[in-house]
Amino acid sequence: MSDSLQDSLYELLVESLAAWRIAGSVDRAADGSFLVRAGANDIRIERAPKHLPFRWMVTTAGRKRGALSVVAVLRQLRTALDPGYVPSNRVRIAVSPQVAS
Amino acid sequence: MIPVAVLTGFLGSGKTTLLSHLLRQPEFARTAVLINEFGEVGLDHELVEASDDSFIELSTGCLCCKVRSDLARTIDDILCRRECAKLPPFDRIVIETSGLADPAPILQTLMTDVKLAGRIVLGDVVATVDAVNGLDTLEREEVSAKQVALADHLVLTKSDLANGAQPQLLDRLAALNSGAPLLYAHHGKIEPQSIFDAGGLESRAKFLDDGTWLVNEACEHSHDRHAGIKTFALVREAPIRAVALTLLLEALAEHCGADLLRLKAIVQIAEYPEKPAVLHGVQHVFHPPAWLKRWPSGERRSRLVFITRRIPRAWVEALLDAVEAEVAEVEEAETHQNRRPARRHAAMRDPDH
Repeated sequence: MSDSLQDSLYELLVESLAAWRIAGSVDRAADGSFLVRAGANDIRIERAPKHLPFRWMVTTAGRKRGALSVVAVLRQLRTALDPGYVPSNRVRIAVSPQVAS
Repeated sequence: MIPVAVLTGFLGSGKTTLLSHLLRQPEFARTAVLINEFGEVGLDHELVEASDDSFIELSTGCLCCKVRSDLARTIDDILCRRECAKLPPFDRIVIETSGLADPAPILQTLMTDVKLAGRIVLGDVVATVDAVNGLDTLEREEVSAKQVALADHLVLTKSDLANGAQPQLLDRLAALNSGAPLLYAHHGKIEPQSIFDAGGLESRAKFLDDGTWLVNEACEHSHDRHAGIKTFALVREAPIRAVALTLLLEALAEHCGADLLRLKAIVQIAEYPEKPAVLHGVQHVFHPPAWLKRWPSGERRSRLVFITRRIPRAWVEALLDAVEAEVAEVEEAETHQNRRPARRHAAMRDPDH
């Protein structure tokens, strides 16, 4: 994992807890993984093994799941921590253009 | 394509008076007006008199919730009647919303309804604000703040009664949406050319290029009121990869939903650096990127302006940093393996290529 991505992901995890108003902490382990603690939840985020078709593994309550990107990591993290969160909105592309062609 | 403009503003803020004046101006000839009123018996449409080549349709009920499909159906209907010469050949449509309506779902309907695709283009959103009561209304009514936040132009009405606008009101408007030009209506009158000009892409690019949004940078922290509505801008020196931008939009839509009121951006896409892409989104609905032929000025930094509710700027910034770092890492790995980086999002394709 690059230093840049390591630092950026740490910042994103910290800011995400704040944005979702979830009391918790994010710690970085020496092996490059992250541990997010919030309430009774301990969530581990680490790099996926190279033979798997994922970039990240997210372990929640003993269950390990793959994630394709930091966006997918965020989705899993919030689903685990925020009971009111329903990831229902997907980007929708307008059928009308911004200007008449 | 027919531009469809939206006139919004809280109850009693002077929408109908303004519209009545505009419809008497020659510049506003050939206008179809859709008036939405809340309540079983509409009245506003009786107060508006259109010229011979303009006309008014009325709908009742709350436009922003249960009758969104009615709006699309009504527009479809008048377009059909225009095509078969059963209506005057109007050149624009103006929707006057109910004073209680949230404009966001209306904009989404105009952007996404398949029956209207290719026949209309979203024009300007204009919000009227009452110089006498506007400040109180903005404090009290969340939907009023949202109407202001979503507008392309703000029109201050009744300033003749208020003996000018209160400085506090101007501060509030600047905090909610400093990028929108503020116009003054005197006795309900305004220069017709100044609003609903359907400047579209060029005017959006101009807004992003001339730095008016910088005002928000200075005052962001001091104006986080109005149900948490605020504006902020992210600026990037380096071009942004199309995939990173797509991932950013996906995450914003997923996590912010209705709290992302509006996004306007001019972006230097790494894959097409010579042509700026203009982005425009309302909540989780985004127009396909439009490409300007060239940069409006020497300024080539990407500028993304967000109008949001309860979304911290720091989170959006961290999100963009993280997706950019991840995409860069993937690209580097793929380059290392002598493979071309994937371009994921069809909507990001330059139409000229």
